[in-house]
Amino acid sequence: MKSINKQKLADVLTQWSKGYAVMAPVDEGSAASFKKWEEGKEVQLDKNSTIPAKNIFFPQTEELYDYKAGKDSLELAEAIPIKDEMIVFGIRPCDLMSLEILDDLFLTRGYIDTYYKAKRDNAVIVSYLCGEPCRTCFCESMGIDYQKAEGADITMCFDGENFGFIAQTEKGENLLKEIDLLTEERDVKLSEKQELKLKADTEGLAEKLALMFEHPYWDSAYEKCIGCGACTYLCPTCHCFDINSHNRACGTGFKTRCWDSCMFPDYTLMAGGHNPRPTRKERFRNRFLHKLQQFPERYGKTACVGCGRCISKCPVNVDIVAIISQLKEVDINDQQGMDRVG
Amino acid sequence: MINKAWTELVNPLYPKVCEVTRIIDETPDVKTFHVTSTKGKPFTPMPGQLAMLSMVNVGEGMFSVSYQGENHLEFAIKRVGMLTNALHEIEVGQKLAVRGAYGNGFPVDMMKGKDLLFIGGGIGLAPLRSLINHCVDNRDDFGKLHVIYGARTPADLCFKDDLFEYWPKQRDFQVDVTVDKGDDDWKGNVGFVPAYLEKLNPSPEGKITITCGPPIMIKFVLQSLAKMGYNDEEIITTLEMRMKCGVGKCGRCNIGSCYVCLDGPVFTLAQMNKMPNEY
Repeated sequence: MKSINKQKLADVLTQWSKGYAVMAPVDEGSAASFKKWEEGKEVQLDKNSTIPAKNIFFPQTEELYDYKAGKDSLELAEAIPIKDEMIVFGIRPCDLMSLEILDDLFLTRGYIDTYYKAKRDNAVIVSYLCGEPCRTCFCESMGIDYQKAEGADITMCFDGENFGFIAQTEKGENLLKEIDLLTEERDVKLSEKQELKLKADTEGLAEKLALMFEHPYWDSAYEKCIGCGACTYLCPTCHCFDINSHNRACGTGFKTRCWDSCMFPDYTLMAGGHNPRPTRKERFRNRFLHKLQQFPERYGKTACVGCGRCISKCPVNVDIVAIISQLKEVDINDQQGMDRVG
Repeated sequence: MINKAWTELVNPLYPKVCEVTRIIDETPDVKTFHVTSTKGKPFTPMPGQLAMLSMVNVGEGMFSVSYQGENHLEFAIKRVGMLTNALHEIEVGQKLAVRGAYGNGFPVDMMKGKDLLFIGGGIGLAPLRSLINHCVDNRDDFGKLHVIYGARTPADLCFKDDLFEYWPKQRDFQVDVTVDKGDDDWKGNVGFVPAYLEKLNPSPEGKITITCGPPIMIKFVLQSLAKMGYNDEEIITTLEMRMKCGVGKCGRCNIGSCYVCLDGPVFTLAQMNKMPNEY
């Protein structure tokens, strides 16, 4: 396979940067996230990025359109996303799977999200296959082989010394040709695959949860959650957004959308004061039902890729794997629960 | 990167510039706005569909279209929050950003040939009015029409011209109005809508019922209808939730697996019975 020594990684990225915006996981202080790579920036590949790759296609804040409002006038100008070709470098199989989930949301059901699509169409994916999984990884439970990357244009592996590249698509082949002069033929082997210790069994869970909306499980499960929303921001599949105005001088301004979180009370608060999800209990329940029941009902897949970010970053140890196992075990006919439903 | 050229790309989040051409004071806290674009109606909604209205520097909100003319859309809007307060201050000529139409609308085809019973309360008559006037405009497609409507006081009755002039003149069209609290001039019924409904006791035979109003009214209307023998499949209502995108992507308007902006806002009672009670 085509291979480079790790010392040459910057050369490869420099070469690709001539024709593409190369988005790579870069650690610039407290949290690694996918940013446009420039010479001198160190790529973090030894562990998964803190912020998932979703921000490449669905940025935390994104302009929708400009406006200029006068007394009896209004001008609008659509913000067309940059159409430059882009390389997404170093995305791991879990985050790659999350793109499939976001594709279902943004690109199907009658409405195609212009902003998401423009970026998605112009991306070449170079996926980094995992050597050693982390303590909080449970991607296998979500149907992911962490040493494969379906949907990638190139898969990349690392043996501690050398990177190996295998093209999976024509786009990928073309991209590898561009670095022909830098690569040499060499076999690069991933460390042997280990079985993940963390497991979540979601078999039959969506069907069970459809009958558990009123179950007393939710009366206590939410209690330690502080509603900070970190899990939703760090989740590669969470996709809720808000739309806001940013006013500048003289009636000008712009509309943006930004990541929102179902854990916040304002999220569902209506003008007039009514809130259908008024307490942390309803919001906590909504988050887990959405991932494990509602999204599967609508799109045929669980809205979780087992990346483990929400587990490792939750300040109060809310653990989706533990919750899944409790939900599997809980007695659906719990008497107290049935009384409440009745 | 801003492309200043108008694009034909269908971007579901990008609105059209419209102008307010007429403002009607309905009640002390409800106004109807006539909205049009330079090319006429910004779009042609089905009865019961929604539109996102925006004063760009204040905010945007989802409203049901209460009627559409040849060249304009109408929105009856109650003053409740930041955006609606700002809307109540505008004058004719104000430009708005409008996108839509969103949602499923009323199942008009399923209603053809049937008698229709409309039960409304307060501003809840706004979405019903789009369907009522659709029936008036296509009178031969529908059977008898019956509107039962109530508001807090006579001053709070919306669409008074329709209620007392236009609709009663139509063929096979009965209008019954009630108020929670009358005044010296009020000669009509005094009492809540559900009680008035039971008093009028319209037969469920061959009828589809469409109801919209404050949640507490809907709750008791549904109880009354059940008592009177109405079938859950033939009772229709519209729901509301906070919305941002209108196209089933931003997340917040879900009730269980349903997105109200996409799968609703119109649901039958039979459908609602299967949904979690979180709205």
